[in-house]
Amino acid sequence: MAYVVTDACIDILDQSCMEECPVDCIYQGDRMMYIHPDECVDCGKCMPACPSDAIHWEHKLPADAVPFRDAAVEFFEEHEQASGGAAECGPVGIDHPVVTQAGGRA
Amino acid sequence: MTASLEKTSSATVRGACPQDCPDTCAMMVTVRDGKAVEVAGDPDHPFTRGGLCVKVDNYLDRVYSTDRVLFPLRRTGPKGSGKFERITWDEALDEIAARFTEISAQDGPEAIMPCSYLGTQGILNGLNVGDPFFAKLGATIAERTYCDSGSCTAYAMTIGDTAGVDPESMVHSNYILIWACNVMSTNLHLWPFIAEARKRGAKVVVVDPVKTRTAKAADWHLPIKPGTDTALALAMMHVIIRDGLTDDDYIARYTVGFDELADRVAQYPPEWAAEETGIPAEEIERLAREYAGAQPSVIRIGVAVERHAGGGQTVRALSCLPGLVGAWRKPGGGILQLPLWAFPVNWGAMMRPDMLTPGKRVVNQFLLGEALTGEMELDPPINALMVYNSNPVVVCPDQDKLVRGLSRDDLFTVVSEQFLTDTAQFADIVLPATTQLEQADIMFSWGHLYVSYNNPSIEPLGEAVPNTELFRRLAARMGFTDPVFQRTDDEMIAEAFDWTAPAMQGITVESLKAKGWQRLNVPPPDAYAPHAEGGFPTASGKVEFVSSAAAGGNFVVPLFRQGSNDFQPGDPVDPLPHYIPPRESVRTNPELAAKYPLNLLTPKSHAYLNSSFGNLEVHRKVQKDPTVLINPIDAEERDITSGQRVRLFNDRGSFTVAAKVDKSVLPGVVVSSLGGWRKDSPSLSTLASVNPTTFADLGNAPTFSDTLVQVEPCVDA
Repeated sequence: MAYVVTDACIDILDQSCMEECPVDCIYQGDRMMYIHPDECVDCGKCMPACPSDAIHWEHKLPADAVPFRDAAVEFFEEHEQASGGAAECGPVGIDHPVVTQAGGRA
Repeated sequence: MTASLEKTSSATVRGACPQDCPDTCAMMVTVRDGKAVEVAGDPDHPFTRGGLCVKVDNYLDRVYSTDRVLFPLRRTGPKGSGKFERITWDEALDEIAARFTEISAQDGPEAIMPCSYLGTQGILNGLNVGDPFFAKLGATIAERTYCDSGSCTAYAMTIGDTAGVDPESMVHSNYILIWACNVMSTNLHLWPFIAEARKRGAKVVVVDPVKTRTAKAADWHLPIKPGTDTALALAMMHVIIRDGLTDDDYIARYTVGFDELADRVAQYPPEWAAEETGIPAEEIERLAREYAGAQPSVIRIGVAVERHAGGGQTVRALSCLPGLVGAWRKPGGGILQLPLWAFPVNWGAMMRPDMLTPGKRVVNQFLLGEALTGEMELDPPINALMVYNSNPVVVCPDQDKLVRGLSRDDLFTVVSEQFLTDTAQFADIVLPATTQLEQADIMFSWGHLYVSYNNPSIEPLGEAVPNTELFRRLAARMGFTDPVFQRTDDEMIAEAFDWTAPAMQGITVESLKAKGWQRLNVPPPDAYAPHAEGGFPTASGKVEFVSSAAAGGNFVVPLFRQGSNDFQPGDPVDPLPHYIPPRESVRTNPELAAKYPLNLLTPKSHAYLNSSFGNLEVHRKVQKDPTVLINPIDAEERDITSGQRVRLFNDRGSFTVAAKVDKSVLPGVVVSSLGGWRKDSPSLSTLASVNPTTFADLGNAPTFSDTLVQVEPCVDA
């Protein structure tokens, strides 16, 4: 487990985090980015890179962000093609229900 | 942005990570009202590029931990009880000076021994900080061969102490062979360069007994039986020469001993190597063809590559390969071991070998347990030990014996530390040491080509002092008046490098303090091909397939032994690369394997740096409780399931951890990561209790990957 993208990313998808990630473990869903919990090396480079402050560390996670930690685990269990590097994988194009059901941004 | 120490407002101070890691990250410390509030990477650093790592992102947890040792302590309970009282620096220094003087007078100064390594690797406070003091004292010389000592001997015997490939040049590599190196856990900032090379078409291959994070990310993982790496490298050379895949022009101009090497490796066909390594012969053939054909190719070797009986020969063979295929011709081709050699560090000014008494005895730190218990015959015995920059109870092999030695009532032990480590628990006197934020230092790197300067960002906490100050105080109290003991940190920094060397042109102390880091004055990564036309720092100036340096016999690079060249191992060394099988394996030692059938590997942890950070809460959360990875076949045979507490043991000792049944390890191999503390172990022992003290073939390297154990379920009381 690792760094976690949370709702501040929804419909923003800035992707600065993808560029910063040294191991290319941040995958694009449809409305949000997802960090692969098994591929993340906990280096923390993505967190300051995010202009939306959407990324938190699992070990210092705000309580309301917990569903997004679980969502990341389930997302990658569901979409096995999202592994081995985000660049090669490309956008997955689908989201976890937690994200799908989230409200839109004004 | 300022680079100065400010106390009353917010400032960003440029620093450098002190941990024993190749990456030496550029750190930016934000200080508010005298307190460090954030540690971050410097985004402008071309190699570390704004990143730190899971260990150092949380460095402030270390600096401000309530467990820090901030005042001198004196033992009040039995040895190892961890019971101490606070004393003043004056009392501590008086007691140390009195005991050192008394022991020196009674038993001779050799009864005193230092014990240290790279708890911090700054040039001032790191490897050599105590050397002038102990040389002056006439103490036993400590040989410290934890890391790359055998590799260095072998590398120097083959291609000399060259920087090798600039890691940043690896974006130009067409074939990247990562050998015994878990880059993603222990050399993280190199990975983006490998990933970039891969985008440009390079193939990434990992040779490792374990499917590490890095192996998982590679294009091809070759799981190899522990300790058989030389067999694979020799068979690669066999195929390359047999099939004419050599760069004959490069060989003719820039190498010596090709014909002898060709004769030698003719003995090592892939079919033979397949038996040794467990890698099918066709894959060995393919690896050799791909490696030779995809120029420039590069081999990145990790520290672990030397940790078996024939570890030196592994590095000998691997260092021959690039010359054979002309990999050195272009940027990104060759071998990457320790680019440290590019730095003109003024080692002599730091360790002062001229102050050593000729003929002074040398004791290797792996044998500390034997030395302290009297199992090693020493006259006089070791009656005082001073530990700094190290936690030998966790990182030295033969833990049980070492603990017995440290428990001796008649042993006077001083430990300088940031925390009450497993070693400090046994001290008579504990001295408080600063963290990197509280001290100035200047840094080489063994993973890139930038000199770094660490500006102190906060005042020392409590009464903690940098190691430099510790030895100034101790020398003064001992009455040592030599100028070397009067040097301020700034004066030491002025002596730390040969500033007139070509590599240092354009770099000054002032520019470093302001900028934090500067690239050595060597060609840029796109053009850096130091051996395109030979120019190797060997006796012949060429790659020495037949090593002239081998004629002098086995040796430890003096840097790892306080500059001393006395009592070198000296045993004869075959000048050609050859195969030395592992000492403890099912094939080579069936009798031992009947009792202990599993090869234990003990790599570095992801969240700890050796034993540093092993006591901090957040790091422990990431690392989780110590485990042993065991293949499902071996687990089933022993009725072991994941999560179950198991005992690992051999004739040397035992420890218990939780099992993790995992196909990422080969059958017959078990893996437990280094760094958990002994006091946190239910068995009050760690993997160091089963690891051997036996040396590898060259440079007195450790053989931590050459260890047989048995694993059994614990019967918990």
